[in-house]
Amino acid sequence: MAVTPTAALVQTLNGIQFGFILFMIASGLTVILGILDVLNLAHGELFSLGAYTAIGVFGFIIGIIGPPGGGVVGTAVFVLAVLAAVLVTAAILLPVGTLFEAVFLRQIYDRDQVYQLVLTFALLLILLDVKKFIWGDSSIRTDAVYSAINTIPTSELVGLNYPTYNVFVILVGMVSVAGLFWFFERTKTGRIIRATAIDREMATAIGVSTDRVFTLVFALGAFLAGFAGAMAVPPTAATLEMGTNPLVLSFVVIVIGGLGSLRGAFVGALLVGVIRSWMITLYPPGEIAAPFAIMALILLVKPEGLFGTWGETA
Amino acid sequence: MKRTTTDHDSEGIGRRQLLSAVGGSAVAAALAGCSTLLSDGEAADQGGQSGGEISDEPIQAGLLTFTRGAPGVLGIQAQRGAELAVQRINEAGGIGGQREIELDVVNEGSNPLDSYNQFIEEGKEVTFGPISSGTHSQIAPEVEKNEVINVSTDGTVTTLYEETVPDPTYSFRFQNYDIMEVVTMAREAVERIGADNISTVAGVNPGYSFGEDEMRVFTQAIQKLTDAEVVYEGFPELGASDMANHITSINNEEPDVTFSSLWGGDVTTFVRQANANDMFENTTVFGTTLYSAAGDVPGDALAGTDIYSGSRNYYWGLPALGNWQPGRELFDAATQQEGVTVPTAHYMSGYGAVTAWATAVEKAIDLLGTYPSQEQIAQVLEGHGFFTPAGYHNIAEDHQGASNSFAGQMVYDDDLGAARLDDVNTYAATETAPPPGVTGSDWLDSWSA
Repeated sequence: MAVTPTAALVQTLNGIQFGFILFMIASGLTVILGILDVLNLAHGELFSLGAYTAIGVFGFIIGIIGPPGGGVVGTAVFVLAVLAAVLVTAAILLPVGTLFEAVFLRQIYDRDQVYQLVLTFALLLILLDVKKFIWGDSSIRTDAVYSAINTIPTSELVGLNYPTYNVFVILVGMVSVAGLFWFFERTKTGRIIRATAIDREMATAIGVSTDRVFTLVFALGAFLAGFAGAMAVPPTAATLEMGTNPLVLSFVVIVIGGLGSLRGAFVGALLVGVIRSWMITLYPPGEIAAPFAIMALILLVKPEGLFGTWGETA
Repeated sequence: MKRTTTDHDSEGIGRRQLLSAVGGSAVAAALAGCSTLLSDGEAADQGGQSGGEISDEPIQAGLLTFTRGAPGVLGIQAQRGAELAVQRINEAGGIGGQREIELDVVNEGSNPLDSYNQFIEEGKEVTFGPISSGTHSQIAPEVEKNEVINVSTDGTVTTLYEETVPDPTYSFRFQNYDIMEVVTMAREAVERIGADNISTVAGVNPGYSFGEDEMRVFTQAIQKLTDAEVVYEGFPELGASDMANHITSINNEEPDVTFSSLWGGDVTTFVRQANANDMFENTTVFGTTLYSAAGDVPGDALAGTDIYSGSRNYYWGLPALGNWQPGRELFDAATQQEGVTVPTAHYMSGYGAVTAWATAVEKAIDLLGTYPSQEQIAQVLEGHGFFTPAGYHNIAEDHQGASNSFAGQMVYDDDLGAARLDDVNTYAATETAPPPGVTGSDWLDSWSA
């Protein structure tokens, strides 16, 4: 099929937008894996919990400020309110992550990894039932955010037909990437976390509390999952099963990028997002297989992934 | 060209008149499911034949349906429909005037075969469901092995009685199957746009057997009715959160018609994202099950869209609610049930499956004077004709139900608080289904251009 330059650009943007959502999910997963050495099977449910929570938070905040007012100021206030709602949602996930790490995971660090898998799978099932208990069986959605943000002209200004919400996701994703790298490269806490990841014994010897670092990292992972859930839900709906596919794709992303590598997760997420997008354009039946094919190829050529594991750089 | 339109205001005949007119049991009348072979009014007054050989032990029945998640948008409708039918049967005195039904509802979920087998182990006398075509293909052979009647609510895959279970005895399907709803929409596309104006077609369908089946049949049908070329086929997975790539591909091709068999929550996701990408400026969407999201899709998402949807064998305005008892009663009762904004075709899938079985059992009791065996019920179900508020239905010798099909423009109704179909067309089963014994593919092949 002939693809026009405009369609090619839009498909690439679709892929980048999807890639940023994937990165937001996979970054939490890979940070936890890289530092705690725990493959968190409940990560998809934390993402889903973020989506469910966001619907309530969006409703509450938009209920206070109302629909977007006219003019630049009114629009800016609405967008900032949506961003605040996303951050509040992610912050709500912080104590959830803290609780999981301190109460459950900490007890089994010394045991075989199978115990971690069983435990995090149990947490997955518990979270599933918690969601069912709180929100019921049916899917729920927020209608205000997606349609309201799409009324703001962005891509139309340059002659492109592309939803403004997707532009919003890409911009927020870029800021998130920059923020995460800044945190791990430039802040003291970030450096302590990296030091703990590189050599846990040495970090302990110089006075770093690994318990505290582990709790912080797991809470950060939950924060990122919640952030991703809040960003992903406006165009779609929160459903009980929504955590499964992102978890599987996130595994693919971190295997491609290198287990525990934040840089790898970023490159892997964009790679999966864009290639999947182009696969749908050129050969739609290959949509699901494409990410796994890339993963298999990378594993054959570079078994440790594109960027190896967590190390001197994030 | 206008075919048959909705008429909500006509006066209709009442329950007593209906009973008197056609003859039937209290159960049949309660369901508006009067078998053509039912007995005279005397038996009806007794609530069916209730001889001493019929015990008063409740009938244990099982319903396999989706009770949660995105598919729950359909499954809960079917559940509520089945529950209302059971309620009406029990209020009418039960089957044969003596045996009430106890309906056990289980989520179709990820292990539907296990759930079905659990029903059998528990001694269920009849099972209803499933919703999914994949599940139906799994359980239909088991139904035959277990020799316990199953009347499926949906699971409408075309190949079920052509390949999976080609000579069924205990497996029946109430709802119109894939070929019927797809041919309905192919005819609807030609009706609305005109064959000469359809030269390109695209498809966005669920990425599993149902969606693939529907696209294949639509392609075959539309290419018989027009000279259309298929320019894009996308198959997003069930519950996909992101359909932007498929939408962009459609915008790239600008097909005259986009066919979709997306259903439930996926419809809402697709419509919202398509609207945000201005897809409706480039194509007209015709879908078989888009109306299944009637209570889910928000008004702003439907604004400015160009969507025509089928509604399988039931649209709540046809026959007119006031003309066909208990049409109005059913609509009002349904909208009071949890999870039902308006009853959709899947509501009728549940209601009709129970009705098909119940009226067949009543007919068998009437003929035999005692409670029938599974085999006897199966024999009566073959060729069984009955009514529901959706109209007249027949289950043919090939075990496939055949009814009218409905299709119309999907718009949002602020008063209803849900989507409705506007300017509804009705298609007879003879226009949409192959004759019994002829495969769908052979039937479509036989159409002259």
